Amino acid sequence: MTEDYDFEVDAEDLDSVATPDRAIGPPSLLVDDLHVTYRVFGARRVGHGEAPKRSLLSRLFGRGTEPGTVTQVPAIRGVSFTAHHGESIGIVGVNGSGKSTLLRAIAGLIPPNQGAVYAAGDPALLGVNAVLMGGLTGERNIVIGGLALGLTPQQIDERYDDIVEFSGIGNFVNLPMKAYSSGMAARLRFAISVAAVPDILMIDEALATGDATFRQRSKERIDEVRASAGTVFLVSHSLATVKSICTRVLWIHQGELVMDGPAEQVCEEYGEFVQAVKKERLAARRSKAGAAAAPRRGRSGDNSAAR
Amino acid sequence: MTQSEAVSAPPPLHQRLDRAELERLVADNGLGRMGVRPPLVPYVKQLWARRSFASVLATSKAYARHQNNYLGQLWALLNPILNAFVYVLIFGFVLQVSREGTNNAIAFVVIGTFIFRFFETSITAGAKSIRSNLNLVRSVHFPRAVLPISGVLAELTTLVPAILVMIVISWASGLLPDPAFAPVPVSWEWLLIVPAIAMLWLFNTGCAFMVARWVAITPDLQNIIPFVMRFLMYGSGVIFSIDRYVGDHPIGTVLQYQPVAVYLYLARSSIMDDPNFPQDPVMWWLGLGWALVFLLIGFLVFWRGEERYGRD
Repeated sequence: MTEDYDFEVDAEDLDSVATPDRAIGPPSLLVDDLHVTYRVFGARRVGHGEAPKRSLLSRLFGRGTEPGTVTQVPAIRGVSFTAHHGESIGIVGVNGSGKSTLLRAIAGLIPPNQGAVYAAGDPALLGVNAVLMGGLTGERNIVIGGLALGLTPQQIDERYDDIVEFSGIGNFVNLPMKAYSSGMAARLRFAISVAAVPDILMIDEALATGDATFRQRSKERIDEVRASAGTVFLVSHSLATVKSICTRVLWIHQGELVMDGPAEQVCEEYGEFVQAVKKERLAARRSKAGAAAAPRRGRSGDNSAAR
Repeated sequence: MTQSEAVSAPPPLHQRLDRAELERLVADNGLGRMGVRPPLVPYVKQLWARRSFASVLATSKAYARHQNNYLGQLWALLNPILNAFVYVLIFGFVLQVSREGTNNAIAFVVIGTFIFRFFETSITAGAKSIRSNLNLVRSVHFPRAVLPISGVLAELTTLVPAILVMIVISWASGLLPDPAFAPVPVSWEWLLIVPAIAMLWLFNTGCAFMVARWVAITPDLQNIIPFVMRFLMYGSGVIFSIDRYVGDHPIGTVLQYQPVAVYLYLARSSIMDDPNFPQDPVMWWLGLGWALVFLLIGFLVFWRGEERYGRD
């Protein structure tokens, strides 16, 4: 299990605080009571820890593993907000709170189960997980990605050098993407996605990879999108990144919107929340270490500490 | 996911706009609703605008298929040759089932299996098209119909070298001294394989549309496809002549005019010089009809599910 709450502060991000109050335009995106539920096949139950031990007979015929077991996992539970042209909005929340799902749903890529999203233009989403085609070269991926985004082959030809230059992958562009480091792949994806200058740009953790120069260039590109009256969404665990890029922040907790306001204010409150949780976990770990001398208890006992 | 009582996040915000306000904002700012299926005509237009996307995706996929081998793209040619070798050995020389109802068993079997493989792999590609491209579907907007189209197109790309192998082997089999293998002379009729394959390609795309939707919504159906394929293989006269074995039975008539059998007939009549497969205008019209009907119905079936692709 990776660290749940990481928000390392990077020195290079701190000196550039978000470009304040660019003229905020009319609404570009309306989210109305959005619900997203995932369908998970074959899951026995939602939760942590080992599944209870069962005999072969009950595993074959018992409830829970019978054919067609489908578990509904609610990821987003009734989120509503309005975004405007020229705004850059950060989305924060602990792991599993539904940030990425929210992003995909407002991009129209995961159909909502209830509620609706209204947007001006076509949103483009880029995420760390969106591997284009691992077996193909960067060059092929630039062409495929560009065509998927709706560029014409001529436009791709024109922007090809720009994209390669921006991603900074150099000669690796002729190797299959499998050979790339995760940072290179993420940079290439970012470069492809911003090549089209979308009306609504959504970035899912992509800026965590890349060095200071790349971050600086990405920030410039994001400012460009905002300057052309676009809207930018950013999901990140790094509060420093969010503060440096976003003017407004949404805090998602367990699939619900719990705070919506200026970046500084929400980040501060979220930071306090995370610190408090950390402190509490530490205390729990200490008390567990103290109890270690005592006879071991069942697995359920250390669940809260492990999470 | 914290299990603490002491630390808790703020209560959820309820800032939902009321109906009238929402409608006013949507109308005033020209916002469009996301994730709804576009009407048919704009959808076709969007699809047409992405035609180069479909073809680049297809050729890249076909190319990537052999990329991890030392011999690389040579496999595009070696694969069909090895395949043909197996069929020629088993059905040309060992078993006698293919010798009935044709004057050249080798050409008969090689054409049958190669053409049928194109159909089979196209359907499989169509079935997997949404699921295997889920990353793409969840990152970028584009008409999803691009995916089954490019899946079948990738199969068509790999078919081109296979067709050359198929023709060469058929021709060479005619040179054998054995009288069971009648000559397959070089003829202008060979060119008719192009429209035959084109029709089959349209037909395959139509079928791929249908299975793409069904499998995307009910993944279990993917397990059924191999059995349906097996059934179709025996019911289309791939390795034995339907005409000879079930021709008299009423079912035989149905089997002879079902789409897959029609395309096999067209391919054989184009390449072989066999009195059992004369050029038949009825079959050509039938081939065109099946292609257009399946393409149209398949496209409509797929389009009607457009807004659902990408949800798990």
